Amino acid sequence: MKGGWNWIWKGSSIALLAYVILRGFSTPLQPGLVSATPSQLTLEEHTLTLLAVGQPFARENAQASDFELVLRSGDQLLATVLTDVQPHAATAKVRIPSTLPSRALDAFLFTPDAGTLFLGNACFVEDAAKGDIPTEFRAQAPAEAAPKLGFSFPYQPNIMESIRNLLWHVPMWFAMFFIMGLGFVASLAQLRTDSVKWDLRAEAAVRTGVIFGLLGLTTGSLWARWTWGAWWVSDPQLNGALVTVLLYSGYLILRAALGEDDRVGRLAAVYNVFAFVMLVILLMVLPRYTESLHPGKDGNPGFNSYDLDNSLRAVFYPAVIGWGALCYWMYTLRLRMNRIAYSLLSR
Amino acid sequence: MHALLLLNSLEGFFFGSGKAHVVTGVALTILAGLAFAMWRMDRRLSRLEEENANPPS
Amino acid sequence: MAATQHTLRTAATIARMEWRLEWRQGHQLAAVGLFAVASVYVAFQASDQRTSASAWTAMLWLVHLFSGFTAIGRLFDRERSQVRRYLQWTAAPLGLMLGKLFHAVITTTALTGIVLGAFVLFLGWPVGIESPGKPGLLILGAWLGGLSMTTTLVFVSAVASQVRGGSGALGAVLGLPLLIPQLILATRLSRGALGDEPWTMLVEYPLFLGALGAGTATIACILFPYIWRE
Repeated sequence: MKGGWNWIWKGSSIALLAYVILRGFSTPLQPGLVSATPSQLTLEEHTLTLLAVGQPFARENAQASDFELVLRSGDQLLATVLTDVQPHAATAKVRIPSTLPSRALDAFLFTPDAGTLFLGNACFVEDAAKGDIPTEFRAQAPAEAAPKLGFSFPYQPNIMESIRNLLWHVPMWFAMFFIMGLGFVASLAQLRTDSVKWDLRAEAAVRTGVIFGLLGLTTGSLWARWTWGAWWVSDPQLNGALVTVLLYSGYLILRAALGEDDRVGRLAAVYNVFAFVMLVILLMVLPRYTESLHPGKDGNPGFNSYDLDNSLRAVFYPAVIGWGALCYWMYTLRLRMNRIAYSLLSR
Repeated sequence: MHALLLLNSLEGFFFGSGKAHVVTGVALTILAGLAFAMWRMDRRLSRLEEENANPPS
Repeated sequence: MAATQHTLRTAATIARMEWRLEWRQGHQLAAVGLFAVASVYVAFQASDQRTSASAWTAMLWLVHLFSGFTAIGRLFDRERSQVRRYLQWTAAPLGLMLGKLFHAVITTTALTGIVLGAFVLFLGWPVGIESPGKPGLLILGAWLGGLSMTTTLVFVSAVASQVRGGSGALGAVLGLPLLIPQLILATRLSRGALGDEPWTMLVEYPLFLGALGAGTATIACILFPYIWRE
């Protein structure tokens, strides 16, 4: 196992992960509106305060006149007058007309530097009658300015700062799929040739894969607590993930139970092939046909619905490669251990 | 800042108090520790492989 | 051609043998029936005769699950002994598996009837439900759910029976995680069949259960020769 190339790819995986950690935690989040108070409005004049997270959308001494806030009801726009703009907050006066197309109001905050910030269902007007907004209350859509935010992660409602978990959770599952696929191929080869060298590979792959599966479950559980409000929810994707990890733990238990039996390689391979087929069914087939909270349920149960933007891609792809290479490194370590143990035992 | 901290503890915490650097530091330390452990294991295995004349490939 | 005939003949012989032995050594079949009825009675007593629809389905499937374990878990016990050596020389592996699967399907059908019948007899219907919205779907769901559990269990007990000096516990340890998806689908189907949900909302569950059962049976058949070979 000598040679420069070995240390190059191993060092690169660590360097990539270091880059991912540095970039992932230091990149600011794009500004996004999180709340409007008061959220229940009546038919009179209100002072509306909007709060934002992420990067500041305005400078410390910004002029309120450079900004524009409009509320949308149905397909019509309601005018407001901004009185004060802070880095993370905006205050506006708004008069509510007696007729509105819809009682739910969406807020659009037009900024000169940070683009347009949107908050869906910002407030509700309980006692408005259904009808058009009178012309004196209406607003014209202002011109949108292109955002000048620099390198920053996109803001997603509910997910907010936790979008950084994308660089951990998703690549860990990818790494698990990759190494379990390797184990599957090794087990097929084991069944074909009945040779111990493939069994050593399959064992190493599953053992590494279980570690990454557990990491994926842990990071996923943390993420679920943050975005869905519970450590665990009943969801096809989550059930599949848990069953997969339990299944592969079963593989390790079966090996332990077989002990010194000379058929351990073949029986473990049989179980592993079965387990991988179940993994594909549970994580890639079933979630696509049933209701799921997990993103990407139509099509790829990974990350399609996150519409990765370029800044996130610049960190996400290195993360995938880095975790994958680290996982493969772990696998080779275990494999070499297995080989040495085997050659010592069969002496 | 205070309003944000009340509104949403993680958001306020993350960029409000500069604790993101601590998180980065801890994560990098763990990564460095892991890399060192794996590197040492790799070296040790190489030595064992040499001692162990001819392991099955 | 001759190989196919041999396989099919083996399958028929094995199924017939299992069936005869089941009746001659009646205690095993009786044991499963006793286990199922006793579990239902425990559920009946524990639930204080008032169950919600979700508790009802939960208990139904727990009883069904563990009755299935007792019935199928011992399917390959006989092959642990000298019989194994004899069968290895005379029987085609695929035929053996098909025979066992066939026998398992018959057993599961009987077991579904016993469990569901005893359940309705003792517990009645859940509180607030005079009669189930779709009784046909309830029975179909119980049967298909039982079948898809059974095919997986046949495979798992075939693997577990290879462990020398192993006990039935290994089959349960390996089998339980594999049965979670089937149980999720089956409980949802039963809950839906008890209530007033329209057919169209539930039609995918029997399809999934059937597909899972057929799929696991196919993989079990493909992989069994590798387990069986010495």
